[in-house]
Amino acid sequence: MRVLPRARTTDTQQAAGQAWRFNATPYWFVLPYLFFFVVFRLGPSIAGLGISFTNWAAIGTPQWVGLANFQAMTRDPRLADALRNTAIFSLVTVPLLIVLGLALALFLNRQKPGRALGRVAVFTPYVIMSTVVGVLWTWLLDKDFGLVNLALSSFGLGKVPWLVSQDWALLGIVLTTVWWTVGYNMVLFLAGLQDIPAELYEAARIDGADSLGLFRHITIPLLAPTLFLVLMLTIINSFQVFDLVFVMTSGGPGTATLTLVQYIYTTGFQFLKFGYGSAIAVLLFVILVVFAVVQTRAYRRGLSGAQ
Amino acid sequence: MRKILPLLFVLALLVGGGVSAQDEVVTIEFWGGWTGPDGDIMRQIVERWNEENPNIQVNLSIQQWSPLFDSFVASASAGEAPDILAMHPQEMAQFIELGMLDPVDEIVANSEVIKEENYNPVAWERQFYNGVMYAIPLDLAVHGIFYNVDLFEEAGIEAPPATGEELIEIGRLLTKDANGLHPGDEGFDPENIVQYAINMHTNHHAFFQWWSLYNQQGGQLISDDGLSCAMDVEKSAAAWQFLQDLVYTHHIAPQGQTDYARDFLSGRTAMLVDGPWQIPALEAAREESGFNWASAPYPTVFDQPAVWGSGHNFTLPSMADPEKRDEAVQFLEWLAANSAAWLESGQLPIFLELVESEEFKAMPGRDAFMEMLPYQVLLPNIPKHNEIFASNAPTPMMVMAQHIILEQADPLTESQIACDAITGILSIP
Repeated sequence: MRVLPRARTTDTQQAAGQAWRFNATPYWFVLPYLFFFVVFRLGPSIAGLGISFTNWAAIGTPQWVGLANFQAMTRDPRLADALRNTAIFSLVTVPLLIVLGLALALFLNRQKPGRALGRVAVFTPYVIMSTVVGVLWTWLLDKDFGLVNLALSSFGLGKVPWLVSQDWALLGIVLTTVWWTVGYNMVLFLAGLQDIPAELYEAARIDGADSLGLFRHITIPLLAPTLFLVLMLTIINSFQVFDLVFVMTSGGPGTATLTLVQYIYTTGFQFLKFGYGSAIAVLLFVILVVFAVVQTRAYRRGLSGAQ
Repeated sequence: MRKILPLLFVLALLVGGGVSAQDEVVTIEFWGGWTGPDGDIMRQIVERWNEENPNIQVNLSIQQWSPLFDSFVASASAGEAPDILAMHPQEMAQFIELGMLDPVDEIVANSEVIKEENYNPVAWERQFYNGVMYAIPLDLAVHGIFYNVDLFEEAGIEAPPATGEELIEIGRLLTKDANGLHPGDEGFDPENIVQYAINMHTNHHAFFQWWSLYNQQGGQLISDDGLSCAMDVEKSAAAWQFLQDLVYTHHIAPQGQTDYARDFLSGRTAMLVDGPWQIPALEAAREESGFNWASAPYPTVFDQPAVWGSGHNFTLPSMADPEKRDEAVQFLEWLAANSAAWLESGQLPIFLELVESEEFKAMPGRDAFMEMLPYQVLLPNIPKHNEIFASNAPTPMMVMAQHIILEQADPLTESQIACDAITGILSIP
């Protein structure tokens, strides 16, 4: 076998020279994911958009109803409830999950004993199935015999009607969500923190920076990509809150904890109005896309500003 | 001969193939939502059938009712369905209207076992929709009172309540705060109750209680043409007021409880309103720890007896494989006559032979429920049943119930709001 002599080229030249040649190998690696993405995500999303213009009831031939489903949304008080609850839930949980996740990550990033145990303790709830978390916290938050109220009463506080009052139920779900998912954000932040070179901190310390200065001028700017990622994921997840609500309150009392995704599920699978359910899903999709676009822009502006 | 041998061989193969085709095993897909101990009992029944009938194997799939119907809808939209689907009579209409269930009139006409005279008439009439029979009944259930005999004796009470007044009177004696005081006593602390007299599902299923009390006044809910709400809001408000007072005025029922069955078993509530499906768990507790329970009929608070009821039945989905229909019916006929084991589930039998059997008569706790069976009122079997009555969704019924019981909202106002919402749902085609 003869090896052809190869001319030395620079990286750029090589890249330019190979640009026209199709290299299939990477696509084979992506294929398994792509298959599931198309079959279970992209396909249903496109189908859902189509269904939202029909009155499909899961079986039978769907009839085209134009924009009727979208018009119906404007005079649906339940949808307004669901939108409001979802917005409040997100407004409360997102900052909590970001601040608490970051605080825990900073705390557990220090070289102190018990660090590994602390990380495991904070992260463990995240691996529990949502239905189990829901049942567990329904018991903990029981008004008369729950452990949370028992603990509160030992501080001389009264019984909080956690899941049985319109004023408290959403907060009960928020607490459960934070306990359940804050560990995930913490792990992402920990990874981000560990990517920051220690030399930067050393150099700044030599220059006389205090810990607040280190945090503001080194940690935060270098953590920005992680922060952005975590923010995006947390917002998307909180807008899609469903399983905990379904298990713990089914959207009640009244409609106090009804969320968008539960309403989509209810409308589609429980009431067999898949057309209208799909229309609400399209609305949720639009909301999330708007968020993603705004955030990406803000992030890019932030990056160019920093440079 | 040499030439004939291979021919014989081929012939033998053909004949053999023919025989094996006859021996082919038919597998019946059977879906049900029994996730409690009743699920195990149904599994045992199916196992027995499978042992006795090697050619017709029944494959029982169990998951909770709500996701079970999700799966049914999803598979039907793909053009498939189980051969037998269990459900509750009040849930049939929505599927019938979508053409997802086949009528069973013809099957019943040809059956020696599934005949009207073999069944409790209350159960039989539940299986019809617009005059056509769509299901084969399995059992019925009504609400009743379970009570803790030890706590009754401790409080010096001799009999369970039969009326609303008795319920409140007895309820006071059975409710205790941390200092052992009863409601009405001086210094009673309603914020520190350690034992409640009764749990009537004051959360998600509160409207089941309302349904009983509303019907005790002879109320109609849906108009005859099915297009609007026909609720008598005054009667509705009276029913709700009674329930709301149990919580906020008399303090004998909790505002909402996480696990009412557990609280009854642990003595935190002296009486539990629920269906006979609780019996297996209560019997298990009696055996394990000597838990001393008994049952009583649902009290008559208003003019006439009436009680929320339900039941299980078997439907034949229209998208199932028609080739397997005969085998599915064979199994159901066998099940009707051989469901003595199902008595253990606590559910009330409706196959008269079983009702009259000595085995059933000797079973504890059933009498009180059987007594109320003639007064059973089913929630309306209408196409939009779920949109109005689903207890795990923001339906008019659940919203009304939770506002009144959990938030102490005004019963009359909430009844009117619910009625308007029901009309809103029904008036849309």
